[in-house]
Amino acid sequence: MSATTAARQTAAASAPKPESNGIRPRWRRWWDARHPRRDSLQLHHGNVYILPTRAGWVFGLTLLVLLLASINFQLNLGYMLTFLLGGSAVVSMHVTHRNLRGLALHLREPQPVHAGESALLDVVLDHQEARSRLALGLRAGDAAHGVADWTWCDLAPQASTTVHLSVAAEQRGRHPLPRIVLHTRYPFGLFHAWSVWRPAAQLLVWPQPEAPPAPLAAAAESPAGSHQARPRPGEEVDGVRDWRRGDPLRLIAWKKSSRTLASTGTLVSRERESRVQRDTWLEWSAAAPLPPEARLSRLTAWVWMLDRTGATYGLRLPGQELPPGSGDLHRLRCLEALAMWQSPR
Amino acid sequence: MALQRPALARSGPTAGAPRRGSGLARDSRDVLFLLAVIAWTVMPHASRLPAWCLAMTAAALIWRGLLAWREGPLPSRPFLVFVLLLACGLTWWSHRTLLGQEAGVTMVVALTALKTLELRARRDAFVVFFLGFFLILTQFLYSQSLLTAVAMLVAVWGLLTALVLANLPVGRPALAQAAAAAARIAALGTPIMIVLFLLFPRLPPLWGQPEGALARTGLSGQMELGQVAEMALDDSIAMRVRFLGGERPRPSQLYFRGPVLSQFDGNIWRQGGDGPWLRQASGPQAPIRVQGRALDYELTLEPSRQKLLPLPEATVDTPEISGSVGTLELRQHELQWQTTQPITERLRVLGQAWLAYSQGPQLAHPALREFVELPAARNPRTLAWAMELRRRPDLAQADADTLSRWLLDHIRNQGFRYTLSPGTYGSDAIDEFWFQRRAGFCEHFAAAYVVLMRALDVPARVVTGYQGGELNPVDGYWVVRNSDAHAWAEYWQAGRGWVRVDPTSAVAPERIERGSRLRPPAGIVGGTLTVIDPDVGRQLRDIWDAVNNGWNQWVLNYSQGRQLEALRKLGLEGPDWTDVARALVIALTNLSLAAAVWAWWERRRFDPWLQAYARVRAVLERAGIDVPPHRPPLSLARQLRQQCGRAAWPLAEALERLDQMRYGADRAGRPRHPSRGERRRLLLAAHALVRALRARATVRQ
Repeated sequence: MSATTAARQTAAASAPKPESNGIRPRWRRWWDARHPRRDSLQLHHGNVYILPTRAGWVFGLTLLVLLLASINFQLNLGYMLTFLLGGSAVVSMHVTHRNLRGLALHLREPQPVHAGESALLDVVLDHQEARSRLALGLRAGDAAHGVADWTWCDLAPQASTTVHLSVAAEQRGRHPLPRIVLHTRYPFGLFHAWSVWRPAAQLLVWPQPEAPPAPLAAAAESPAGSHQARPRPGEEVDGVRDWRRGDPLRLIAWKKSSRTLASTGTLVSRERESRVQRDTWLEWSAAAPLPPEARLSRLTAWVWMLDRTGATYGLRLPGQELPPGSGDLHRLRCLEALAMWQSPR
Repeated sequence: MALQRPALARSGPTAGAPRRGSGLARDSRDVLFLLAVIAWTVMPHASRLPAWCLAMTAAALIWRGLLAWREGPLPSRPFLVFVLLLACGLTWWSHRTLLGQEAGVTMVVALTALKTLELRARRDAFVVFFLGFFLILTQFLYSQSLLTAVAMLVAVWGLLTALVLANLPVGRPALAQAAAAAARIAALGTPIMIVLFLLFPRLPPLWGQPEGALARTGLSGQMELGQVAEMALDDSIAMRVRFLGGERPRPSQLYFRGPVLSQFDGNIWRQGGDGPWLRQASGPQAPIRVQGRALDYELTLEPSRQKLLPLPEATVDTPEISGSVGTLELRQHELQWQTTQPITERLRVLGQAWLAYSQGPQLAHPALREFVELPAARNPRTLAWAMELRRRPDLAQADADTLSRWLLDHIRNQGFRYTLSPGTYGSDAIDEFWFQRRAGFCEHFAAAYVVLMRALDVPARVVTGYQGGELNPVDGYWVVRNSDAHAWAEYWQAGRGWVRVDPTSAVAPERIERGSRLRPPAGIVGGTLTVIDPDVGRQLRDIWDAVNNGWNQWVLNYSQGRQLEALRKLGLEGPDWTDVARALVIALTNLSLAAAVWAWWERRRFDPWLQAYARVRAVLERAGIDVPPHRPPLSLARQLRQQCGRAAWPLAEALERLDQMRYGADRAGRPRHPSRGERRRLLLAAHALVRALRARATVRQ
């Protein structure tokens, strides 16, 4: 069972707060110390909070009026009604709290996204009790970044479920995740119990790719002479070689692989079009004269473009150089370098 | 494998989107359920509400139901405001006020029905729920019978179920599931209810209730021909009496004395003022004389909202009353017990009744002239007939006893008939009754008798109250119903004082002797039962009455007196309401403690295996080693061996053993739980590792 939401939250880093001894920062520090960042959360008496909802307060007022009416008209059944409702409300408070208590949450490693997209947080809820937990609401984000809608889910006895929360990623870099709030009002909506979780995992946000991407030719004509001939290691004459980690699926020679799998237990990949490949260098300077962030965007778009063609490419940023390579792993490395280049953090 | 870029956030409905699945959409089903609950709650009010309110409520509920069925749009707000103002206006028109009890009930019903047309947000739903709880309370203003209680318990259950449904945002939860959850919570809340009910201090009304806003059938301070006929159709219970000694009176001896009516204006009989009798307190009020032995009785009086106690004749000594009535006072000249507060709760009365007594002045007194006054212009034939009678030689010098006997003989022999439906009488009702129609019930007979006695110059007065009753063999209580309301007469005889006479017995002795009442035709079920076996019907009724009496005694009768009595039984001396409050606080504290113990026990009830593992994890997490809850012990052991080297070996080995207990291949059948020693060793190993890590960290620094 899973639920999805269109909640958009900002994963932007909160600017480091100036050290201060005011009430608010102190409170903040105390609160954060109470909720250390961690990858999983076990809910217990210490971290589940509960308060009456507004409806709960109004209900209390209703009970008071019912009681006054019972006293004034001397209605013993009125007393019974009032006390039955009062007793049920007290029990419902315990039920609400128990709905969260004993629950365990953990977060799957969030996948990197481009700035301007939404990251999907997969929160896994599980528990061992032989009872179901109903109407659990989750949302990611702080009050500062606008309040998202709750994503609701139910949890069957001794089961686990995954809830997908989406978090808007606005700035490139590696960001701490916004806090996740788990909340329930079940059964009567008179009390709401909640717990706050600050996940320890961080979200990697790549720069936003330029759209539409500038032609790659600009890079090829860069003054540094981007294209170089370079022999590649492990090449074979017949255009196939042993499969290497990172080779795309489409390069696998399936027919040959079926034989080699039987004999040596490995797959074989086709060699690229040319045996001697010209390496492409993606240069920081090639994206001139754009401002830095725009340059990063353009380089990001090029990385994707080259990756799609299966080319071999390297990346040179001021102060950082990634040697030419290809494949998914290489692309991830390049994108991470772009994301983290002189990162605001 | 290619890594998939996460798709853009999937946008979709968050919650509560209507789903066309099994027939009705979920929201529509919930709304229809709520409407049904509201209709059920309003239903008992149907006979009491003004017609327009009933029509408006029905229309609103049905309309809302249709909208839910078709998933149509709700009416606009200006329209609703208009209807609301209309409802207020009509309430004013019906009740001449917007406050007060009946107007209040009308308004609450109309508001609840209208609010359903505005069920948009959760907030609106809550308003409907809370109005619903008020509606339930208003039922108790009219009836607190067992049946009402059961019906309203169902209503509470329905409302709580709807509340649960409103708080289940996902999917299409089954009604039964929500109902079960509501029932479970209410059942768990019941102990709290019982404690509060028993120990919440019972206070007197905080402010005055408008008197007469709620007229109930019962006795009143006046009598107009036709009134008692209405009461005879009211089969509800007025009181229950049990005689404590072995002696049991006959039904014909049971007269429960209500208002004494001595002023007649031609239409209406009224209670006499406090005129000459009170001013001459020392004068003609000879003390009440009693003979023989008194009967001890215990009487449970239903709330009548009147300031009088209809007690068995003759209750002379102040009875012991549990319940609030203000001050109890005996109007000696009328032998009538009055209270300063209307009776709004069930009263338990312990008293003594003398069946043989006499009352009133022995000698003629000018104040007695009040009891021969008649309106001159009314009932001319009766007056003329009486004059003629007085002139008869055999009656010219007759005393009151003789005249009374003569009149009763006349009633017995002249074809008078006892009926509950004599029809209406004109302005000269006594003439019409005495000479033409000769059909009526106790009121007619008593009124005509008193008018004739007065016309014959004998002081006489009408007494109203209850007569007879029915013995319930199941619990030994006499049940007196409102249909036992009766009117009889008293005349004054020199040397004897006031003498009771029951003219009705002259024509319908079975009414008095056996307490058999004229009954309205029974319903289908009752009729069938009576046809099959009259005894079965009677037995069922007796059992039902006994159950109802138990309900009254233990639930509705529960008052401050009972509260204090209970505390006294617990050994408290001279308890007052502060003791009640203290007992309440103690009980609630104990309940909370019980809940705390339960929560603690619930934590302990955890799987010992999981608990042992959780403890190790907690120790490690405090030391900064993050362990996700889903990581099995074996994997944790591997992680520790890698991270911490040799120091982690003892713990890693213990963890591997723990893993083996649950997931090991060699286990036979069921998983094993760690023993107490094993759990201890596990924890010790964890602490040892943490210490080792800390030591290592200090060395590095």
